[in-house]
Amino acid sequence: MVEIKHVINDPLGMHARPAGMLVKAVAGYASKITVTAPTGTADAKRLMALMRLAAKQGMELTVTIEGADEAKAAEELKAFLAANL
Amino acid sequence: MGFFKKLFSKPVDSYCAPMAGKAVELTEVPDPTFAEGMLGKGIAIQPVDGKVYAPCDATVDMMFTTGHAVSLVSDAGAEILIHVGLETVSLEGKPFTVHAANGDKVKKGQLLIEADLEAIKEAGLPIITPMVICNTDDYPTFNTITGKDVTNADVVIELAK
Repeated sequence: MVEIKHVINDPLGMHARPAGMLVKAVAGYASKITVTAPTGTADAKRLMALMRLAAKQGMELTVTIEGADEAKAAEELKAFLAANL
Repeated sequence: MGFFKKLFSKPVDSYCAPMAGKAVELTEVPDPTFAEGMLGKGIAIQPVDGKVYAPCDATVDMMFTTGHAVSLVSDAGAEILIHVGLETVSLEGKPFTVHAANGDKVKKGQLLIEADLEAIKEAGLPIITPMVICNTDDYPTFNTITGKDVTNADVVIELAK
């Protein structure tokens, strides 16, 4: 299992676009990927669940990745979070 | 009778337009997040009125605190996102009046949000309003009915598993 922590920089938080982009980024990976915010936990492959987190700027997200391709997925997710959230 | 049995053998879920205006294909939305179907397949409304209605009987999954978008889960299980205008998250709720809350059971045609379309236009943002089905992959049959003026009583999406 790989764990990534990221504090949201985007002043608008996790709104529809970054949530949609995140789903797209992780869709190709077999690993189970979950996003935990102070507001709850969501499957990163489920758009509605991610939006329900209503994660705001300054909140810390913990992303856990578990599966055969976890190392590669973690690398892409780190880059994604830095660039988009 | 055989013909009708065949026609109706597959349960079809129908979703009405969330706003009055012109129904168009999602590809006409000038935002790739929607136009490329990243959030799911669907339609968009070029609205003539700011009232946003429930497209079906559903539960409010999340009313964004800014009121610019709402997600619903239909009684049939479809995950619906209605996003009022584009980039409107940046308006921090000002042009939106919210009429439903998370967890509310709503009926088809029930008022969910009122948007001040003129204020959105004045802010320089498009008022076109996409409605997408986030769990598109659950529906092999996905019909959109667009290219015409609609009210919230007109069906714009038909789904079947």
